[in-house]
Amino acid sequence: MSAEGSGKRIAGGWAVLGGLLFAAVLISLTVGQIMITPAELLRGLMSGTGPGSLTLRVLRGPSTLTAVGAGAVLGASGTIFQILLRNPLAAPDVMGFMSGAGCAVVAGVAFGLLIPLPILAAIGGLVAALLVAGLSFHRGARQSPLTLILVGIGIGFFASAVSSFLVIRMPPQEAADAQRWLTGSLTARNWGHVLQVFGLGALLSIILALQVRAMALLELGDELAAGLGARVGRARYGLICTGVLLATVGVAVAGPVPFVAMMAGPLGMRIAGVRHPASRLTAAAIAGATIMVLAEVISRSAIPGLQLPVGVMTGIMGAPYLLWLLWKEVEAGEV
Amino acid sequence: MKATIGLVLLFFVAIALTLVVGVRDAGISDLWNAFFAFDANDPTHAVIRSVRVPRLVAGLVAGAGLGMAGTVMQAVTRNPLADPGLLGVNAGAAFAVVVGALLTGYSDSGMMAALAFLGAAIASIAVFLVGGARSGAGSPVRLTLAGVAINALLLSLVSAIILSRNETLEIFRFWVTGSLAQANTRPLEAMFVALVLGAAIAAIIAPRIEALALGSSLARGLGTKPGTVQLSALLAIMLMTGAAVAVAGPIAFVGLVVPPLARRIGRHVLRRELVASAVLGGSMILLADTAGRLVVAPAEIRVGIMTALVGAPVFIFVVRRLKPGALT
Repeated sequence: MSAEGSGKRIAGGWAVLGGLLFAAVLISLTVGQIMITPAELLRGLMSGTGPGSLTLRVLRGPSTLTAVGAGAVLGASGTIFQILLRNPLAAPDVMGFMSGAGCAVVAGVAFGLLIPLPILAAIGGLVAALLVAGLSFHRGARQSPLTLILVGIGIGFFASAVSSFLVIRMPPQEAADAQRWLTGSLTARNWGHVLQVFGLGALLSIILALQVRAMALLELGDELAAGLGARVGRARYGLICTGVLLATVGVAVAGPVPFVAMMAGPLGMRIAGVRHPASRLTAAAIAGATIMVLAEVISRSAIPGLQLPVGVMTGIMGAPYLLWLLWKEVEAGEV
Repeated sequence: MKATIGLVLLFFVAIALTLVVGVRDAGISDLWNAFFAFDANDPTHAVIRSVRVPRLVAGLVAGAGLGMAGTVMQAVTRNPLADPGLLGVNAGAAFAVVVGALLTGYSDSGMMAALAFLGAAIASIAVFLVGGARSGAGSPVRLTLAGVAINALLLSLVSAIILSRNETLEIFRFWVTGSLAQANTRPLEAMFVALVLGAAIAAIIAPRIEALALGSSLARGLGTKPGTVQLSALLAIMLMTGAAVAVAGPIAFVGLVVPPLARRIGRHVLRRELVASAVLGGSMILLADTAGRLVVAPAEIRVGIMTALVGAPVFIFVVRRLKPGALT
């Protein structure tokens, strides 16, 4: 990692990143309708009784940890696509993979299919990715990343419309819940969700770790990568699959939350000051978790007595970032 | 000529279906009688007059407004992906109305209209600034992404406001996707006037927009001021989009699907294209609305969802046909 500048600065960057996540988790556990002091939390953790323990075990612990897991997988997923397509706009949320996953989950619920949510989400995400890739080919030629992104936006529009269509068929209460989930929601999460997102996330992280070397080679460009012994096509498809699946693991527990996957990568890279793909992925996962936890606590406590869906909050946070990104590129005369 | 006849036929079929189809089925004779031999005790007549006619008018105002606004936008920006819905102009209008009317609790129809126009204007200026219209031709990609961002931001805020006030799901759905349900409660007359005003401005400046399309230096040589034309176009778009949103909510994709069809029918003369867009837009919304009432009867699918189901594939089709150079 000598190419990444002085080791001291990097270590400082990681410390800031980790500190931010820790602070976000602490805020999320203490702030709410009933305020809990960190001391009470610690007492609850040690003794297993009292308000601190109740908060950790039932009230806020599961939601907060689900937010950490979902944010981490989304951040890593976004970074995979940002590296592969060399474009900050490439992310599973912008490109419709997450809407596709959400659509499949809603379809499963609407038709009463007895398939576990993560599998439904994975199928939806992979179908959306296949459609984006297939529809971007035109007259046999591979298109620019921007075409892929735009086609992905179109697939996202379509998947969202189909989801809304399916929601109408549900009974009223179920429809209201589904609508909320489709915005991205972390209400009423339990330890099952935590286990699910961390279990599947860990499994995919191991697979991703095996692919990181190929990813670093792909970053050099296809020809050079092939020259250095990478099987370019296979490596790329493998990474796309891992990226899509990571995103759908997040969707399965938190719904298609917008913009976390897109924001996490650049934010993590900037704070940690790293460039190597493996470090970028780790930084993005931590940044994604932080964003998600903050969005969760704001959406739950910004308006007293009301829980907004977390997706409304990430939308409000992420859209200005996207605008800033576009503005910067206008200034630079790019895109 | 054939296309024109087809268009007129489509238009009348769309109108007839809107009036006839519904939970209470009406025949052509009921339709005739409702207008020319009205019987106040006949529930079918009452439904046609008090529910379906307002719905028809709202659909026509929204469809014509969004169709023409899309055509003007595409002509001015020369961007085939320009649509008031996709570029966030609809969301701007909806946001302004929701903030103004819900937060102040003052939902006078004139006030709502004024807010819709204001919101539409601010959002379109914002999109064009970020989308880079100022540095020459804004690229379709940049403009579309700016629209995506502005849409996401404004609709998130709209959701937050509506949810925080515990409004009904129906109100939420109207202001997030658009719907023709309860059209009889909307300010139809005032918005019709606004639409006509916007259409008149568009028709007046149409030849100058065409001159501008030849390139701004050439247009100046022909005596056209680009700034004035763009500003008038913005005014027209604002009036037409604001009117559409005030009666039917932020419906997307009409302004994307309609203009390319209108170009064929209008044979690349902008004034003719505008007429064709108005008729096509109206037909599209009415047909989408009728289909939405039929597929899951007695429930109904909001018209905004139906237009998205049709419009999203069209969006992908248009993206695929963009020239590689147009992307950068």
